[in-house]
Amino acid sequence: MRKKGMAAAAVTVAGALLLAACSSDGSSGGDASEEPDTSGGDAPNELTFMFRGGEYDKLAYETAIAAFEEETGADVTMIITDADQYATKLQAAIAGNQVPDVFYVEPGRIQGYVYANVLADLTEYVDQSVIDNIWDFGVDAYRFNVETGERGLDGDPFFALPKDVGPFGFGYNTVMFEEMGLEAPSPDEPMTFAEFTDLAKQLTVDKDGDGELDQWGTGLNVVWNSQAFVWGAGADWISEDQKTVTVDTPEFAEALQWFADLGLVEGVTPSAEQAQTLDTYQRWMAGEIGFFPVAPWDIGTYNQVAADNPDTFGYDVIPYPVANAGDDWATWLGSLGIAVSENSKNKELAAQLATYLSTDLEAQKILAENKVQIPNLIDYATGEWLETDALAAGWPANTKAFVEIAQEKGRPLPGTWTYTPEWYDNFWVGIESVVDTGDQTAADYVAGKQTEMQMLLDQSWVSADQAKAQG
Amino acid sequence: MAIDVDTTSGAWTKQRRKASQKANRKLHRKEYTWAAIFMAAPVIGWLAFLLFPLGFSVYASFTNWNGLGAMSWIGLDNYVRLVNDPYFWKALWNTVFYMIGIPIGLALSLLLALALARRIPGRTFFRTVYYIPVISSLAAIAILWQWAYNGDFGLVNQFLAIFGIEGPNWLMDPTWSKPALIIMAIWKGLGYSTILYLAAVQAVPRSLYEAAALDGANAWQRFRTITLPMVRPVTFFLVVTNIIAGSMIFTEINIMTPTGGPNWSTASLVWYIWNQAFRNLSMGYATSMALVLGILVLIVTVIQFRLNRRNDFSIE
Repeated sequence: MRKKGMAAAAVTVAGALLLAACSSDGSSGGDASEEPDTSGGDAPNELTFMFRGGEYDKLAYETAIAAFEEETGADVTMIITDADQYATKLQAAIAGNQVPDVFYVEPGRIQGYVYANVLADLTEYVDQSVIDNIWDFGVDAYRFNVETGERGLDGDPFFALPKDVGPFGFGYNTVMFEEMGLEAPSPDEPMTFAEFTDLAKQLTVDKDGDGELDQWGTGLNVVWNSQAFVWGAGADWISEDQKTVTVDTPEFAEALQWFADLGLVEGVTPSAEQAQTLDTYQRWMAGEIGFFPVAPWDIGTYNQVAADNPDTFGYDVIPYPVANAGDDWATWLGSLGIAVSENSKNKELAAQLATYLSTDLEAQKILAENKVQIPNLIDYATGEWLETDALAAGWPANTKAFVEIAQEKGRPLPGTWTYTPEWYDNFWVGIESVVDTGDQTAADYVAGKQTEMQMLLDQSWVSADQAKAQG
Repeated sequence: MAIDVDTTSGAWTKQRRKASQKANRKLHRKEYTWAAIFMAAPVIGWLAFLLFPLGFSVYASFTNWNGLGAMSWIGLDNYVRLVNDPYFWKALWNTVFYMIGIPIGLALSLLLALALARRIPGRTFFRTVYYIPVISSLAAIAILWQWAYNGDFGLVNQFLAIFGIEGPNWLMDPTWSKPALIIMAIWKGLGYSTILYLAAVQAVPRSLYEAAALDGANAWQRFRTITLPMVRPVTFFLVVTNIIAGSMIFTEINIMTPTGGPNWSTASLVWYIWNQAFRNLSMGYATSMALVLGILVLIVTVIQFRLNRRNDFSIE
């Protein structure tokens, strides 16, 4: 009787604690009991795969995973989360020692996760022939030299395979150019800054004669677009060894000033009040803006707009402008990786799954056909896809520009290859004084920012060293 | 005369009393045990879910910790960094600025409660309408308001344009970004405060108003001397909980101005803490800021309790 009583009491206490745990989460709207178990599989053939994405990602991965399960006899559990909660949930899973066997990882997280022994080194698990058929950037983005702290160097171990590479391309409104009787920009050769400004001026007009501009040359958000122009002027945010902030060079200041002057001096962008990203995005799709970014994840939307409004909107991809004729153009290239847990009980099988998800031809075809991403596989992307599949699926005429970015013109966003991106984030705090109000010249701004950014970069390296020492 | 004492019966009674006392003691012991077990539940809960995390946080705030690997003790370094970090102070200032919305929201709620307490047509409908934002997802509301604040196409500026007012580009203007978030927060919290005030207003005895009316008090005097003091416990509760909730403002900022707004004008302290913890892998530093915020909220709450006690009164 007493034993029964004690057991009942124990259950009561446990229940009360459970209720306390659940109720304590009330304000955030979450429910601990609904959280999926993200821990890795226990049985020799069990794997968990945690990722984020839309319906097409899910469809593609269900196809790839079904084929993988059939081929290997594995039993894969998929855990999908909202995109904006993924990073936080993954970190919570790591802190709670419930790391999934296979999961998405951002390139910027590699260092911290490797130092904390979260990621498995995939070098020995993946055949060189597989690596040779993936974009260099797709693998380099996950290479990390644990000894020197260097990132992206060919030959170093890699800790993830690419889910995708995301080229941030530049585009123009083909219908607007035709309507204005202007010659379309070259799909192969970049314009110079001067040529771009000249074209943008011609595109900026008051179409209905009411005294107010209703069409502009461009409208670019500085946080996502200035990289291409700064790189196109031969400048950069950081030195090659990732240890010195280089924003205070004359080339950098000139490129940034030129970017700001597009709106402040040349008047070829909507005014500061009108220039929210959302607005210029909408204006671009409404056929009011001549030049605007075009990335793979926009293609589906842009195609729909072009189909609905063929008289005002059509688009194609071109290289980003450069400062002077003959300069090399560049733009940023994003990526998301598929990693394997260092503590997975089925590491080899997990590495096989990561390889499958990254390189399965059928999955790549589904993702490319639905305009989610360009294919990871070089032979398919540069062959059959570029020749027939891409155009048939509705990718833009000059899709080869995306391939070119993935192959050689793309660079990671500054801050991706340092332990933390705080130094780079800091650059944008106060940028409005240069590009929106013109209260400060670009030269003054970058001179003032360099010291603060360098301090944060140094701190990032110190933190990296400490993380390495702590393990 | 000899007295016949039944010693056997006495002994038996004594024995019985003893047995009864023993049984009582046993019962008491059992009850005490059960009482202790049931009392242990919240105590263990408090230890496991409050004291331990709090102690852990205090310890973490004195360490260099990225939230992934091992911690290393660095003493007061995080606190020294915090004092010298201009972004901490700016985020703290922004957070304090958001509190301006609390008295405005409470005043509006009380006005609404007074209106809804009257027998006006459609009052059930209005009560429902005002309460809808309270039960709506904050993330969804933040996205809707982000559109509403759009400089060109937003509903807010379209509404202002009806009166000939050219609205600012709310979320992109450092001057207007914080007021924009305050307006949204007031709108979101109005229904909850109104419901509490409504209950308090309806609980005020009618006899007080009748007596005041007989003494010649006008509507404003009745409101100031009867309604306001009588709803003060609710006001106190709302001020305390709103300050605590306001100090934790995060979701709407992260959705509406994910980079901290123009010139960092909307970054709240919790948003900065979250960025340091999860984006910049400075969990130790983030914890020290969280503790400072917690202590500041505690101090403000204690002051409020003191002030409330000093102004306390009761009706005989």
